[in-house]
Parts: sequence; C-alpha cells; structure tokens
Amino acid sequence: MPYLLIAPALIYLAMFFAYPMFQGLMLAIFDDDAALVLVDEPSLDGQEVERLTQGTRLNILGRQGNLLTDDSEGTELLTEQWFLVVGESAGGAEVSGWAPEARVRIRDEAADGTPLGGTIRPRLGAGSDEATPLLAEPNETSETVAELEQRAPVTIEEIAVLEVWFQVQASEDSSKVAGWAPSRFVEVFDDEETGRVDEGSVGEFTTGFITKMFNDSFFSDAWQTTLLLMLLILPLQFVLAMLMALVIDARLKLGSGFLYIFTLPMGMSDLAVGILFFSIFTGNGLLNSVLEAIGILDGPKTFLSADTIPWIIFAIVLAELWRATSIVMVIIVSGLQAIPRETLEAAELFGAGYWQRVRHIMLPLLLPSIQVALILRTILAFQVFAVVIALSGGDIVTVLANETYRQYFEFRNNNVASAYALFILLLSMASAFFYLRAVRAQTEVANT
Amino acid sequence: MSEIRIESVNKSFGDKLAVNDANLTIHEQEFLVLVGPSGCGKTTLLRAIAGLGMADSGRITIGGRDVTYLPPRQRNISMVFQSYAIFPHMTVRDNIGFGLKMNGEDSKEIDRRVNDAAELLHIEELLDRRPAAMSGGQRQRVAVARALAMQAEVLLMDEPLSNLDALLRLEMRAELKKLLAEVNATTVYVTHDQIEALSMGDRVAVMKDGIIQQVADPTTVYDRPANRFVGSFIGNPPMNFVDGVLDRSSGGPVAVKVGEVTLSPDAEVDSAVRDINGDRVVVGIRAENMEALAEAKDGAFAVDVSVVEPLGSQNLLTMDVAGHRMKISTHPSFPVEAGQRLWIRFPGDKIRWVDPNTEAMIYE
Repeated sequence: MPYLLIAPALIYLAMFFAYPMFQGLMLAIFDDDAALVLVDEPSLDGQEVERLTQGTRLNILGRQGNLLTDDSEGTELLTEQWFLVVGESAGGAEVSGWAPEARVRIRDEAADGTPLGGTIRPRLGAGSDEATPLLAEPNETSETVAELEQRAPVTIEEIAVLEVWFQVQASEDSSKVAGWAPSRFVEVFDDEETGRVDEGSVGEFTTGFITKMFNDSFFSDAWQTTLLLMLLILPLQFVLAMLMALVIDARLKLGSGFLYIFTLPMGMSDLAVGILFFSIFTGNGLLNSVLEAIGILDGPKTFLSADTIPWIIFAIVLAELWRATSIVMVIIVSGLQAIPRETLEAAELFGAGYWQRVRHIMLPLLLPSIQVALILRTILAFQVFAVVIALSGGDIVTVLANETYRQYFEFRNNNVASAYALFILLLSMASAFFYLRAVRAQTEVANT
Repeated sequence: MSEIRIESVNKSFGDKLAVNDANLTIHEQEFLVLVGPSGCGKTTLLRAIAGLGMADSGRITIGGRDVTYLPPRQRNISMVFQSYAIFPHMTVRDNIGFGLKMNGEDSKEIDRRVNDAAELLHIEELLDRRPAAMSGGQRQRVAVARALAMQAEVLLMDEPLSNLDALLRLEMRAELKKLLAEVNATTVYVTHDQIEALSMGDRVAVMKDGIIQQVADPTTVYDRPANRFVGSFIGNPPMNFVDGVLDRSSGGPVAVKVGEVTLSPDAEVDSAVRDINGDRVVVGIRAENMEALAEAKDGAFAVDVSVVEPLGSQNLLTMDVAGHRMKISTHPSFPVEAGQRLWIRFPGDKIRWVDPNTEAMIYE
C-alpha cells in the first residue's frame, strides 16, 4: 500500500520533471537528422549501404515510385499517384490494372476532387509503343497484366500514393557508394540531376550544438555580463537584506509598515520593474528631471545607450536590488524569528552589544537561512532576463537567458537554445552544490 | 558590596499589573528564592533586576548603585535561564567563556576561569564538545558554569531546574545549593516549586498576583505563613482550613465553635482574635500537626476517614471536618483504614487563626 501512495508522486516526477528535463537535454546533445541512410534497393526493407551527413552534395542517378508508407511529410517530399483502372482492351475484353497518373487524363471527378474516370493519354513522340501497359501492382517493376489503347475510356477504382525514391551518390567524395533514399530527405536542384541531403533520416549524439554555443559571438558577452551582475548584486543584496531583516526584527512601532514597504516589490513582475527603472533612467525620465532641477545637469543626459554601458549595468543592479532583495529578507526574517529569545537575551546579559550579538549569535545561527537564500538568489541571478531586456533592449547588454531566447525566437535554433539552457542549469547546480558543501559544517552545528 | 534593593517597583503588560509595588531587600551573599504560582510576577521581577525588562516605575539598586534603567551588561550580574539559552553554534568552552570574551578579558584569564567553572560543575570532559549532542542535565551544567565563570556579584536564576526530570532535579538541587554556598554571590532564584524554595533558600519571598506576600526564612514561611495563601501554597499537603464562629459572650477568653467542638485561642492571640470584624474566623492547621485518636476524647472531632494514602514515611488521611475536606498525616504505625471512625484534636499552639476579612494570619 505505501508504494501505491507514492505512485502519484512518481507519475508527477516522470511527467513534469524527468520527461521535460530529458527532452531538453536531448535537444542540446542529440541531432535528430544528423545523417541520411542510403539503402541498396528502393524500399524501407533495404540494407544500409552508406550514411551521408546533412548537406552532402548528391548526383541523382535514378528515380522510382514507391508506396508511401509514412504520412509524415518531409520538406522535400515528392509523390506520385497511381490508379487502378478498368477499361476495354483492343480485343474488347474488360481488363484492369495499375497505371501511373501520367498515363491517365482525368475527365470525371467527384465533388471533393477525387478522380473517378478518364482516358488513357496518347504517347507523344514517334516510334513509341502506343499501348499503355497496366501493371499488377502500383510499382514500375511489377509485371504487365494487360494493355490499353490510347484514348481508351477507363474508370478509376482505387488510388495509391507513391513516394518518389532517388538513387543517389555523393558527388564530391568518390569513396561513397550509391544507394536509394526517399525523396523527402533529398533536395533536388533545378537541373534535376544534382541535389543535396536536406535532412537526415537518423539522429546522432553530437557536441556540435554546445560547440556552436561556445563559439556563438554573443556567448562570452552574455556569460561575462551574467557573472558581473551576480557579483555586483548578490553581496549588496545580502547586506541590504540583513539590515532590512534586523529593522523588521527590532519590532519598532511602525515595524509592520516597514514589512509592507520592503516586500512591495515582490508583487511586481520583473518586466514591470525593468520598465519602471527604464522610465527613471530614460532621456526625460525621473533621474534627469531631478538632476536638472537641482542644477547638476544642464540638459538631459543619455544613460541607456551603447556608449554608457556602465550606466546600464548600474540601472540593472539597482532594479534587481529593488526587485529581489525582499525575498532574501523574508527568508532571513523567518530565520531570525526562529532564534530563541532567551538565546539573544543571554548574549545581551553576558555583555554582547547589539552588533556583537549580530556578529556572534545571529549570523552564525542564520547560516542555514542564508544558505537557502544564496542558493535561490544565485540560481535566479543566472536566469536574469526581463530587467536586462527592458533596460538595454537585449543587444547592448546581453545575458545568458537572453541568448537562449535569441537562439530560440530569432535564429529558430532549438538545439543551441537548449544548449544555453543546459549551461544555465549546470551553473545553477554547481553553485547550489558549492553552497551546500561550504555551509554544511556550520549547518550541522546550528541544527540543535 | 552587592546588596540588591527593590523599592516600589511596578511593571505592567498592557492592563495587567505583573509586579505591584514590590519592595524587597536581598542582602549581600544571600540566597533568596522568589516563589509563586505561574503568572504571579516572579519572573517579571527577576527580569527587572536583570535589565531584560525594565521596571515601569520604582528603583532597583545593586550595591548602592541605581541600575533601574541600565542595560544588563552594565549591572555586573550573570544569569541562568530557564531554557539554558546555550549558544548552539559554540563549543562548551566558547559558551562558558562568552561573557568574559565580551568583557574583553585576555585569553589566558578566560581559559583559567572557564576551566575553573567547568571543574566546579564536573564538565571538564565536555569542554570541546558542542551542545547539540548533550543531555538536558549537561546543558544545565554548562548554563550554570557560564554564569559562574563571570564571577559576578549577583547571580540570577530563572527556574533553572524546571526542565530536568524529577530524579536529576533532586540531585541538582543539592549540588546547586552546595555550589552557590561556595561562590558567595548574592543570588536570586525563581521557582514555582515550593519544595525547591524551602530546601534551597536562605530566605523565601512568596509572590501572588504581582504582590510579595511574605519574605522570611523557610521555617517561618512554613510554620508561620503570613496569610491564607502562603499557608495553602507552601507545604505539601497544603495547610487545612476550616470555618469557625466566634463566641465572645463568655466574658472570659474568646471561644471559637467549629462544628461540635469549641476551640480557644492561646492567651497571646486572644485579644487579636476577639477584635476580628464580624463573628467568623478561619482556623488553619497543618496536616502533621493534628492528633489522630482511636477513641473519643474531649475537644476532638469525630470524623470518618474517606481515603487512606500510605506514603511510606506517613499515611495521608482524607476526611471531612465540619463540612471541610481536610488532610491529616499520621504515623504508619497508627492503624487506620478507609471508612473507619477517628477522633482528631487540634493542639492549641499549632492552630493558625485567619481573619476572613483580610485573609491575614493573626500572631501575637
């Protein structure tokens, strides 16, 4: 029974955690269509003879229709229809068999466009056989079962859709052998004799996307800015949060007022905060107005431009401090309130002044809370996004999360976007692991 | 010089007056126990002495110095807290040395005094351990050692034994008493346990509803309680009380009728009893001070024993005397069983007379 009870938790884990995580990871390290498999005959059952990577130039040596077995469409899918026709042969007997769409002129269609009947097309060109063979199966290689004269009227009993297969060979590498591949994987050039591998038919693990991410021209900017913001924001944030928590914990007359003021920004979305600070730092914004009014500036100064990146960084730091310090404060306040009153009174009685109590009693006992807040804030710092976008547009100053976004929406490259996301995940995990190890010794002590 | 004087101290929380005009002098090197039921204001008064909750009005001096509104660390006191308030992130050594370190003593001196205090409490082998894995008794010792290491002239203790189990408490009680006799500090010890109060204190101050009821040595508090409350709070079982009717008609000594029996106060208190307003008086007597008799005798109450509780050293009998439930203790050799009829007598010198108007006891 207990195992039944945890089943929902396991299902939840699998559906909402393990599966998406796995898919995301695979996007970053697995190339769905890395290679095209060529087979020795134009059939899905054919033996593999060669693997060509995406983009390989091809010579097209032959083509053949082949029953379409898979409805999913490739970008280059070429199809051909075959009809099972019934008509009167030259001898007057009723015959039936398969003919390709090129041999039948449709003259009668159902309301939805389905062909119902027509006539056999005349063959053009001198010397060609005027009779059209009907085949046993919708396949060029099957045997002929009957023949029809040109212009013989036929009814169409059945329709088969065939996919065109190409016999191809890599044109620039003579060591590669020729083989067959479905049309959906092959882009045919205008001359109809050459082409390239448009997409692969099988996936392969690859470090290509990760390499591509590291070599991305925005990567080092994004990475360095993210780190810089973290190093600027986090220490300031924790000092501020600690001071705010001490103010709340002092239970002043207007203590609850402070709590409301301090936690107000928690109710705002990060994009809204970004826009708010944009409005402060923009050309005719609050900051310029104030500086002009008190006579420090003569005219508006441009704070948020490519020439004033330090100002942008300053604005981002300020916005993030304003926005996210209160969550740290809340965690520290709850930690402070868990310290027994008598413990602090004992410290006071044994001669510790206020700052000595903070230094020798509160801070050591707050370490577990600080650890939690540090992990939370560091992870969020690696994900900083909306504030940066609002204040810089995402080009002048860029961060890792912005590059994920850019790869996904601008370059439509899910794989590299996933590589960025994976990079952020690994950084977060590494930092959480680091904090857990670093604070563990003290945590054990404080858990009494 | 470390006499503590408490003069007209008041302290209230909202509407509730926790300490009501407290006046108390604790002599130098005296061990004074503040005892009372929970909520009586004893801890509030101790915290006012410690400086952890300032008095609203009045004056507190320590060694002649007015400390009423000084912060704790300027009062030259140390304290043992009810929850011990050991710092969980420090070793025992750092805990004991904390106050000395805060006072800026040099590390050699700290070491010496920490070791001395640890030795007094027999916790030398715990010095480098952290409190996390220690038992309640060990933490208790650390808390006491920390207080003693300060060598302050005033030592305050807030129910230090209340978190220990019964056996350990008994053991610690004697040890603490011996220890405190050696350290010569002026000690104020708060407890709700009247046995602890009687057994440990040089003097006992009994509090109720923020008012100090009586301050006296343990024997006096037990034997001559100032009022009905002290009599019923101190001692186990509590003092018995029964209503009587004054008869001043005889012209001679006043007579008090309790049920069928007539009692007469001793000559020293006769006039005081006679002066009680109204014709009612309350008679108080301790369980062990009554005489139980197997046969009827003049001036003895005829009672039916309802419960017999053999306690080994004594038997505790429950019975109704003139409509009041009473407990009497008898020697185990006195044969008695539930339902049996007995006669009990109140020896004149053991009776305490209570004025029902003021609840105060009447002494010569």
